[in-house]
Amino acid sequence: MALSAHGIGAQLPAGFEGRIFVRAPVGEEISRPVAQFATFPIPQGIGDFGGNTETSLGPSDIFAVLFEYGPESVGTALFAAQGIPSGLTTMDFLPYVMRPGVGGSLGIQRFFTAAGRPFMFYARLGSLQQQAALVQQVNQLLANLVIQPPSSTPLASPTTSTTAPSSTTTVAPTSTTPTTSAP
Amino acid sequence: MCLLLGAASAARKSDPAKVDVVALIVVLTVLVCLLTILVAGLLRSHADILRALHSLGAGVGDPTSGDEAQSAPISMSPSAPPLPGERNSVSVFDLSGATPSGDAIALAVAGADQLTLIAFLSSGCSSCAGIWRAMVRSHGDLPHDVRLVVATKGPELESPPEVEAKAAGGTFPVVMSTAAWGDYEVPGAPFFVLVDGRRSRRIGEGIANTFPQVLDLVRRAQRELPESDDGNHSRAFALGLDGPQRESANDEELIRAGIHPGDPSLYPQSHDDVFGVGKVPAPNDGA
Repeated sequence: MALSAHGIGAQLPAGFEGRIFVRAPVGEEISRPVAQFATFPIPQGIGDFGGNTETSLGPSDIFAVLFEYGPESVGTALFAAQGIPSGLTTMDFLPYVMRPGVGGSLGIQRFFTAAGRPFMFYARLGSLQQQAALVQQVNQLLANLVIQPPSSTPLASPTTSTTAPSSTTTVAPTSTTPTTSAP
Repeated sequence: MCLLLGAASAARKSDPAKVDVVALIVVLTVLVCLLTILVAGLLRSHADILRALHSLGAGVGDPTSGDEAQSAPISMSPSAPPLPGERNSVSVFDLSGATPSGDAIALAVAGADQLTLIAFLSSGCSSCAGIWRAMVRSHGDLPHDVRLVVATKGPELESPPEVEAKAAGGTFPVVMSTAAWGDYEVPGAPFFVLVDGRRSRRIGEGIANTFPQVLDLVRRAQRELPESDDGNHSRAFALGLDGPQRESANDEELIRAGIHPGDPSLYPQSHDDVFGVGKVPAPNDGA
């Protein structure tokens, strides 16, 4: 199952569901694309980073977010890492990454720049006991993310399909026209 | 014809009555000629039709084809989607598409640890209007383990602003996907499909014109679920697995629960490990 919108594409591993959206801006704020992925039904109206999903996260569940920051962040030290994170290990997931009150789970935060766009990847694992298997699933998710350069970001032009994307790495766009592949 | 005209001319000179008879013969002769031409044309047309049927493989009425050609089956496979009674009643498909606000969404239905009620609705159908309103108002009336998802046709066939307006205030996801309608072979809106994610199969589908009817359908389908859903049996048992497949499924279930190979709970050393401290049944219990 694949989905794509706002210059972000993902081929979801089995068991995952997801959404890629831009919130309606409030006042003069500029909303940026957010991609949420989870192995449980993502409730409506949750926070960008999964606020209010604590009770939905079971021991074998994963919640992950790809959050885009403004272009002014490109080139800063925080976003110096290039490319989508990959090859995460169990050592990368730590309990203190989580907000207080989210006990028993582990998390990771990675800031990076991909295709000239600054992002933060955040993932939460349901339990320490199943950490190894869950990290493997997170790596699988990351390996199937595609980020397009900002100039080609087709805002409000989602595409979905049940086929794999043509590439699993950051790629240059071939066209600014969104396409939908047949399931 | 010249002979007839000559005879008529001769008759005119002799007797007026004979002239009429000759004229009648002439007219009849002309009519017979015309009918002969008409029949010949019809026979030729008939031959053309037989040739066309033969080229289609029918062989009906072809005198040269013999019994073999006459018994050749005529393909009658319908080009339209199969009727509900002919569909695979258990196949399940994940949902992916656009949201009314133009974002992308993909929902896992197969394998989900719950029931999913997919409501195939349209923004335009009159029967759907009341259901949209009731779903926004009474979504909470659904059993707690049932997830409601609304699926409309894709933005190319539906009006996203109208769908957004209908779903405003609702706490259920809306997927705009024409492919989903094709996957579930939806005959028309409103149509409902109830999926058991644990078994990855449909357990109910049908038409309902009011939301209470939908609730009734869901409750009835829930009642018909096998008793293995009560938690007393493993998922492998519920799926009817046996042998290595059941063992593998049980292993997966244990791992999901955080019990890995080597876990002490798998190797009880005493009755307390099995029944809990102080809960060991007396030897004469159950006697």
